[in-house]
Amino acid sequence: MLKTEELQVNIGPQHPSTHGVFRMLVTVDGETLVDLKPVFGYLHRNHEQLGEVNSYLQNMPFTDRLDYFNSMVNNHAYARAVEQLAGIEVPERAQYIRVIMDELSRILNHASALGFLLGDMGAWQTSLLWGLREREKILDLFEYVSGARMMCNYSRFGGVARDIDDYFISEVKKLMQGLPRYFDEFERLLVENEILLVRAKGVGVLPKELALSYSVTGPLLRGSGVPYDVRKAEPYAVYDRFDFDIPVGTVGDVYDRFLVRVEEMRQSYRILEQALQQMPEAEGGHINPKVKQQSLKPPVGESYARVESPKGELGFYLVSDGSGSAYRYKVRAPSFINLSALADMCKGYKIADVVVILGSIDIVMGEVDR
Amino acid sequence: MLTKGELRSILSTEMPAALDQRWAEHAATAEEGHGEENKPVLQQDDAVVNAEHLPAVAHFLRDTFGYEYLSNITAVDYLDFDMIEVVYQFYHIDEPADVRVRVRVGRNPEACVIPSLTPTWPGANLQEREAYDMYGIDFPGHPNLARVYMWDEFTGFPLRKDFPKTGDKYTHVTGAE
Amino acid sequence: MTLSTRKGTVNIVEVNRHDNNIHAGQGTLKGLDIVFRKFRKALFGKANTERDDTEGQFNVQYPEERLVLAEAYRNMPILLYDDATGQELCTSCFQCERVCPPQVIHITQAKHPETGKPVPAAAEFVLEYDTCMSCGYCAEVCPFDAIKMDHDFELSTADHPALDVHYTHLLRPVSYYEAIAPTMWAEVRDAALKKLQNNIKRRPGNIGVDHGQKIAGKSSAAAPKAATPAAGAAGRKQYTGPIAKVGTSMSEDKLARLMAIREANTGKRGGPPESGAHAIEADVATNAAGQVAPSDQATSGSAASKATGPVAAPGKNMSEDKLARLMAIREANKAKQGE
Repeated sequence: MLKTEELQVNIGPQHPSTHGVFRMLVTVDGETLVDLKPVFGYLHRNHEQLGEVNSYLQNMPFTDRLDYFNSMVNNHAYARAVEQLAGIEVPERAQYIRVIMDELSRILNHASALGFLLGDMGAWQTSLLWGLREREKILDLFEYVSGARMMCNYSRFGGVARDIDDYFISEVKKLMQGLPRYFDEFERLLVENEILLVRAKGVGVLPKELALSYSVTGPLLRGSGVPYDVRKAEPYAVYDRFDFDIPVGTVGDVYDRFLVRVEEMRQSYRILEQALQQMPEAEGGHINPKVKQQSLKPPVGESYARVESPKGELGFYLVSDGSGSAYRYKVRAPSFINLSALADMCKGYKIADVVVILGSIDIVMGEVDR
Repeated sequence: MLTKGELRSILSTEMPAALDQRWAEHAATAEEGHGEENKPVLQQDDAVVNAEHLPAVAHFLRDTFGYEYLSNITAVDYLDFDMIEVVYQFYHIDEPADVRVRVRVGRNPEACVIPSLTPTWPGANLQEREAYDMYGIDFPGHPNLARVYMWDEFTGFPLRKDFPKTGDKYTHVTGAE
Repeated sequence: MTLSTRKGTVNIVEVNRHDNNIHAGQGTLKGLDIVFRKFRKALFGKANTERDDTEGQFNVQYPEERLVLAEAYRNMPILLYDDATGQELCTSCFQCERVCPPQVIHITQAKHPETGKPVPAAAEFVLEYDTCMSCGYCAEVCPFDAIKMDHDFELSTADHPALDVHYTHLLRPVSYYEAIAPTMWAEVRDAALKKLQNNIKRRPGNIGVDHGQKIAGKSSAAAPKAATPAAGAAGRKQYTGPIAKVGTSMSEDKLARLMAIREANTGKRGGPPESGAHAIEADVATNAAGQVAPSDQATSGSAASKATGPVAAPGKNMSEDKLARLMAIREANKAKQGE
């Protein structure tokens, strides 16, 4: 037998497949991975301390910069935490608008995440742009309603910044006419693609029990077969009024996560359909007019509000001392905690699989580093 | 299944040694100054446990009641009480509400020690490292307790309330006690 | 599959893993079929901007073609003044300065020249464009609708200090904002102008208009910008509508620069291969000249130098030793090719 020697390799921090500035200190034995240490913090900007210095309203645009793919969801989660803290009621119509934005975010996030995953597998640009095209259409809608494509800054305490108009609704409906066809094409294009099957099946397996103990959430947890979704477990906004399913995987490998994301886009489509149908009957305006946005001083206390972000459970933990800015502001970032499972998922696989497994977690460094 | 505060009463009969009784009077005095601004109030309705009993309580919670999903670990620096509180949020897979377990330790390095939950909940790994990095809490039993955001040579714990928020962060070394 | 929990039932779909299908390349072929169909449509089909379609040519050839921006689009804050009188709408109430999350707004309130009492007008207004995060709070909180978000996004410059934008360069006439956001302005117009009338009464002399006069006299920064968006406003009603023609939403000097770049590029492609070396030699000369009077180049020459030759100026932003090294490498390469 030949005696082999272990070798340490750095993947990143500047690497096209690391989804940002992220370093993986990898120990390999030949091609097989022995150990992996995630190293990050290159994007750290002490977001949580900014939250303690800024006023509650001032902090809203900073939450855009966490998971910059889904600023709408971040705004929603943060607004919920503050509303819970200050006891603010949100009108029904605003809840529906938030749900519509969240589900559009989910579709755009999954479309581009799957595109990036395939890009990581080596399918160079085609599949990525396939996902980005749908994302672009949705971002145009976000721009129309909020003023910015990615840094939406759309939620306010007790509602949203601007009401949506008939033109927006007609455009969403138009977009949704094309979506089922897009999902079908996406599945036909890729789901049975042999190259994808070889790269994804049986790779990066995360068993059910391990997934739970690792506190992973989102498609990563559901791919492992745990039907846990905050929208069902703790229905926020108006999610209890919609009929939708939770897709789960059976094995917990990269392929399952891929399929779960494809199916989740379909479920988001179902929620959108129902939300648009129910919204005209919703009461109230787009915002609670009684709330003093700029000089909000919630009573002393603490709150934790979570939403199902496309990446997983996104939560904001706030402690108030009764002043105009939070005493403690903590973000439970799904990408950050999902990342802790990376080393275990990668061990024993080939070094080329690391990139695919990382892509299947779908991390965003803005949220990991905060 | 467990309502808010219920764990506290269960623990007082099942594991009375685990409950941390030191803070009851602090909370009472703070309660009086409710209208006063810039004074946080210690929450009393959740179970406050002694640091050394935390793993036992966490396992009790998981094995007896099925709260197996450790969602969030938050450290809060209460400078007024000379204390750092760490809030552990556990979820049951079928339940909407969480159960919060609080651990309160002193701010000086000898007292700021909490046993790590990482051996049982590996998902706590990065969160504990973050709490160490930002608040200087020591987690014995953690496999790799290193700074996670700041560089290794950095001294001080940036999220502590007495860490200076102005000045040159590269030359101003402080907070290391 | 339905799973019953303590709360009720949750519908679960197990994803189909296609484990039983036999694969011998059919999956890939199926995918390639779609790819080829799309490719054909993209190649020969019509340009497509419809949101419900998934086929066709979606590309927009920026910067010649550009999408029409939404009315609500926000980029950087600007300040408004009344077209007719030149009175600025800002009263320096400090609301925007207070709410600004990155704290980039700096206002100095105007004082009455004789009594020294504060006057509802700003003496100086500085906005750090480089740190602004375009959140739009300033426009949202402004009770006088004096600060609004601009649509001009082509702000890149090599002149960093110029990004601390002062009053004179922040001011735009009301008609400019009306052109870029007609319905949003219509909602607030009456109230805003009424408030302005009240404020004018409390402004002695020239306070509140002097910045506007400067702008009108210069006519370089604001005037062309005010004229061009009005032309593009006709197509603005239709948000998804067709792509605007070349330059409709561009300022004139930018258009001129673009055209110059074009010409330079085509000239370079057609030109003889050794012209690159000459360009460098010529550039060393200009670089040396530029270093004698660097301040002059920084202030007036930045726009002009960009327009003349963007590709043929490798020495412009380089230090001398770097340039020398580059030259040496070029020489070595040339010698190698000659052998």
